[in-house]
Amino acid sequence: MTYFRATDPFPLESADHTKLHEFYARLGQGTLATTKCAGCGTAAWPPRGFCPECGADTFDWVELSAEGTVHAFTVQETGLPAGFEGPRVFAIVKVDGHRVFSILVDADPVKLAVGQKVRLAPLRVADDPKGNARWLPAFRPA
Amino acid sequence: MRKVALVGAGVSKFGVRKATYRDLIWEAGKACFDSVPGVKPKDVEGLVVGSVMPERTAFQSHISSLAAEALGIRPSALSARTEHMCASGTVGIRYAYAFIAAGLADLVMVLGVEKLNQPTGDEAILNMGTGVDREWEAAFGLTAPPCFALAAQRHMAEYGTTEEQLALVGVKNHTHAAKNPNAHFNKGATLDQVLCSRMISTPLRLFMCSPITDGAAAVILAGEERARALTDKPVWIRGTGQALDGFQLTSLHEDYAHWPAMKRAAQAAYKMAGIGPHDVDLAEVHDCFAIAELIAYEELGFCHKGEAGPFVAEGRSDYGGDIVVNPRGGLIGCGHPLGATGVAQAAEVFVQLRGEAGARQVDDAAIGLTHNNSGMGEHVVMLYGREAR
Ligand SMILES: [Zn+2]
Repeated sequence: MTYFRATDPFPLESADHTKLHEFYARLGQGTLATTKCAGCGTAAWPPRGFCPECGADTFDWVELSAEGTVHAFTVQETGLPAGFEGPRVFAIVKVDGHRVFSILVDADPVKLAVGQKVRLAPLRVADDPKGNARWLPAFRPA
Repeated sequence: MRKVALVGAGVSKFGVRKATYRDLIWEAGKACFDSVPGVKPKDVEGLVVGSVMPERTAFQSHISSLAAEALGIRPSALSARTEHMCASGTVGIRYAYAFIAAGLADLVMVLGVEKLNQPTGDEAILNMGTGVDREWEAAFGLTAPPCFALAAQRHMAEYGTTEEQLALVGVKNHTHAAKNPNAHFNKGATLDQVLCSRMISTPLRLFMCSPITDGAAAVILAGEERARALTDKPVWIRGTGQALDGFQLTSLHEDYAHWPAMKRAAQAAYKMAGIGPHDVDLAEVHDCFAIAELIAYEELGFCHKGEAGPFVAEGRSDYGGDIVVNPRGGLIGCGHPLGATGVAQAAEVFVQLRGEAGARQVDDAAIGLTHNNSGMGEHVVMLYGREAR
C-alpha cells in the first residue's frame, strides 16, 4: 500500500448526495441559481434548505444574473492547500445584491480592481467517484 | 455560582515536532502536574480536551478518553472534547469553569492538543480548509489567510493603517517569542525581515502570519476551597464572554475592518468581571494574522476604533506601554496548534499573575485577558485576576 491522502475537497453535488443538486445541475449548464423561500419569499445566498427568517424548508429555484462586480479581492501567492496553485485570486463578487465568495479565473492580478465587472465562469473540478461532473461557481473578468 | 481558579498550568514545546499526538499530551500533562505538586492524575475528576482535527492529522477520534488514559486520569464527573476551530481550547476552559462553578465537579483538567504537521506541507494546509465552509469556500482552495487579508485591506483603506504597522505586530511578537523557550520561533525578527518576507495573501506576508505548529498545553481548574488548599497563588477566572456573528465569509458583518462579535464577547466578559479594558495588565490575543491583533486592540477597547496602527507603532502594546499584548509571543511567534492555543494563553496568564514569568514578566500583573477568534465573526474572551474579586 502506498501513502495516500484521504482527501476530496469538493462537494458531492449529485441528487444522491445533496438536496441542493439543482444548483449544480444548472451551474453545469452555465447559469447561476439560488433558493427562494416558498414560505416568505426570501432569496438566499448561498442556496439553503432551511429559511432562518420564517422556518420553512421548501424553496423554489431562481436564476441570478451571470454578471457581477468585484467587491473585494486578495491574491494568494503561496501557502495554498494541496491540489491548489498560486497565484490564486479570491474574491467577493456582488451579484444581484448578494455577496458571493468565489475565485476569479483568467485574471491578471495587476489589472484587477474593486468595482470591475466579472462574468460567471463555471469551473469544472474533479469528477465524483461515480464519474459525475462537478462544477464550482467561479467568475472571470468581463 | 462558586468561584473557580486555575491552580496549575503547563505547556509542551511548540514547533514542527518529532512527536506523536500522544507524545504531545504527555509533555503538556507532565508540565501541568509538575506545576501543582498537590495534584496527582488520580485526583482529577474531569478532563476536557480541546482538539480540532485529529481525525485528519492523526487518524484518531475518541480523544478525551485517549488523553485521560495517557495521563492516568479516571474522570468521575466530566469527560468531553471541545471543537470550535481556533478557539477550541478556551471553549474547553469555559466548559470546565461552568461545571465547577455549578458544583458538578471540583477539579478538572483542560488540555489542548494538535499535531498539525504532516509528512507533506501542502496536506497540512489542505487540512486547514476544514475550518471554513467546505461546499462554498474550501472547495475553491480557501483557508484562513485570504479571509484576514481582506480585513487588512479594509482596515488600511478605512483608517490608513500601513504595511509597516502590520509588520510591527510581527516584530513585537517574534521579539517576545525569543524569550519563550516553548515558542515555535526563538530568533526574533527585524522590521526589514518582516517586510521582505514572502507574500502569502496580499497584503499579508509570512512573518505577519502564524505558522503550522504542533503542540499541547494543559491547565487545572478547581473550586474555591480546593484551589486555596492546593496553592497560595490561585489565578481566578473573573469573567468570560462569547459571541458569534456568522460562519461564512459572506454572512459576516460586511465591513471586515469591524468585528462586532468581538466587542460583544469582550463587553460580556468585562461586565461579569466588573472591570474595563484599562484595568487589564496583559492580554494574550489571537494574532493568527497581524491584522487580527490590530483589530483586537480596538474591539477589546485598548484604543479607539481606527487607532490600532499608531497604537502598536508607538509601543503602547509592548513592555513599558499601556498594556503588554502577547508577552508569550502570540500565535505569530509561538505558533498556532489550534486546540492548544487557548490553553497555552491561559497558562501564560497563570505564570504572569503569579509573578513566575521570568524574562517575560509584566510588572505587577494583576489582571490578564485571553482572546481567541475562530474567524472574523466568532470570538471568545476570558478575564483572569490575581484576586478573587
Ligand atoms: Zn422564509
